[in-house]
Amino acid sequence: MAATFFHQPAAGLYGLGIDVPSFGSSRIFGKLLSTRLFFNSSHHKLHLVLASISHDSSIESTLILIRHGESMWNEKNLFTGCCDVPLTSRGVEEAIVAGKRISYIPVDLIFTSGLIRAKMTAMLAMTQHHENKVPIIVHDESEQATLWSGVYSEKTTKQSIPVITTWQLNERMYGDLQGLNKKETAEKYGKEQVHEWRRSYDISPPNGESLEMCSRRAVAYFKDFIEPQLKSGKHVMVAAHANSLRSIIMYLDRLTSQEVTSLELSTGIPLLYIYKEGKFSSRGSPVGPTEAGVYAYTQNLAIYRQQLDEMSH
Amino acid sequence: MAAEVCHHANAIGALQSHSYLSNLNQHQNLRSNSLRLVTKDFSCSNGLSMGRSSHFGQRNCIVTRSSATHSQTSVVDPVLSPSRSNTSDATKKSNEAALILIRHGESLWNEKNLFTGCVDVPLSSKGIDEAIEAGKRISSIPVDLIFTSALIRAQMTAMLAMTQHRRKKVPIVMHNESEQAKAWSQVFSEDTKKQSIPVIAAWQLNERMYGELQGLNKQETADRYGKEQVHEWRRSYDIPPPNGESLEMCAERAVAYFRDQIEPQLLTGKNVMIAAHGNSLRSIIMYLDKLTSQEVISLELSTGIPMLYIFKEGRFIRRGSPIGPTEAGVYAYTKRLALYKQKLDEMF
Repeated sequence: MAATFFHQPAAGLYGLGIDVPSFGSSRIFGKLLSTRLFFNSSHHKLHLVLASISHDSSIESTLILIRHGESMWNEKNLFTGCCDVPLTSRGVEEAIVAGKRISYIPVDLIFTSGLIRAKMTAMLAMTQHHENKVPIIVHDESEQATLWSGVYSEKTTKQSIPVITTWQLNERMYGDLQGLNKKETAEKYGKEQVHEWRRSYDISPPNGESLEMCSRRAVAYFKDFIEPQLKSGKHVMVAAHANSLRSIIMYLDRLTSQEVTSLELSTGIPLLYIYKEGKFSSRGSPVGPTEAGVYAYTQNLAIYRQQLDEMSH
Repeated sequence: MAAEVCHHANAIGALQSHSYLSNLNQHQNLRSNSLRLVTKDFSCSNGLSMGRSSHFGQRNCIVTRSSATHSQTSVVDPVLSPSRSNTSDATKKSNEAALILIRHGESLWNEKNLFTGCVDVPLSSKGIDEAIEAGKRISSIPVDLIFTSALIRAQMTAMLAMTQHRRKKVPIVMHNESEQAKAWSQVFSEDTKKQSIPVIAAWQLNERMYGELQGLNKQETADRYGKEQVHEWRRSYDIPPPNGESLEMCAERAVAYFRDQIEPQLLTGKNVMIAAHGNSLRSIIMYLDKLTSQEVISLELSTGIPMLYIFKEGRFIRRGSPIGPTEAGVYAYTKRLALYKQKLDEMF
């Protein structure tokens, strides 16, 4: 079975590419997707087709990675690490724009770091989501917290997206450099030393973490808690930081330590992965609201999007 | 050599250098919720730099007493360290502090008309705008310390509001939930600390816990329990919904927290902002304004419209709401606040 996918700007498709599934009905399906008229007259047919391919759809899930935008210390050029500083207005905007990009991608579960800038990014992004489910932060820090945050309606729970916050997704801890500006630090420790801490894989700043240490705890968390969710078919969003996300990408894309140290993640541009049959496929970034482009949705994503469009009409 | 004992009217041992603008050293002491009113390194006009003193009268220093409101005539750069503000003297005898209360705006469940209570749901787009608007209204009012509930909608409200603040200090959320959390969130630059506003999250400021009504919509609830019963839970003072809190119970823990943790800060002259919820804030206002339980149940707080109190000589004076950016109006600042605003105008 060819597990290939490619995006093809087929004529008539509204910016959607199609995944090539392992069975023959794709061409028909592609045709079905290509016209708006279809929805009105052949709605019923769409559901039949969906039913016939459902055996494949249950094991495909989406993973969205979002790096938070500008924080107040980014603005001031200070080493932040695990200091819990919030977003600037610009960072707030970035989060909302990121949300627009993923507004048609299903999200069942959200993981964020324990830091407010990542939590805010996730919450701001989700205000743009078309499915209108409500993220709810899970509280288990104490008996009381768990008890007090109980929800007593089935219907409401179904319309909720649990949000799990965890320190393992925190930014790399920068030790004694936290709060220092780049200039102060260069003066104190020397430019080459600072460069080494920032760009090496396994050298940590004084009392801080190396990228390797950060990776260890971030990837362990991903494998233990996030991957099983994807495996069960849940669509997951992870809102975190440059280093914790690079670490995860290192695992998803099987990068070497050399490759990961030169990997730069844009802020506010979400990254999409498709998880299928135990493998992660990088799908790049969903197009922004004002961008023309072809974005390679999978069939399932295209259907999901259609359903959202139908719901809102 | 004449020496006067510096003393602070209401708090033992807490002295501040020049003015609220240079409340520099206080931040370093706010890593936990403890009530230590210790000031590091205050210096007095004779140039002596004194060490830490937590006892009334333990140290003598020469200060020039001047009435609080007149002392701010000097043009002091707010980011000056205390030693440089010697020359402008002034005991911080004025224990006037600003207290801002902000109720968060629309949440995603408000939008859907669901009982929320302590379920941790975020703001809607409207709630986000409300928070930013609120921030504009308080952008010229000093903030040294922020308290929020443990719920994201209040925390976001505080953070969004502070993106508008003209002083450009950076709120930093304090983490005490574990040794590691504390160690990992340390800041290692004095300058940076001086430009920081500690943010303390406390469950005691959470919204009233609504028990088995949490997540239900108003219709479902009326169906399940009957309209009169629901009305009673919502509007009475001491009747809790099943497994939930009454307003009285909410008030008990919110006001206790305010008195134990927040009021002492105001006493030392810290300007405080509280971002919380309808019921926890009403409870606090009940205490500040000395309302009866009858009065408090009919008190409605606007969302996104911050309320200002001036705390002076142990009393809370309600000052209403600072005007919005597009409103014409007269807002009765105190002299101290007016000067703070002027300084901001000069600085930026």
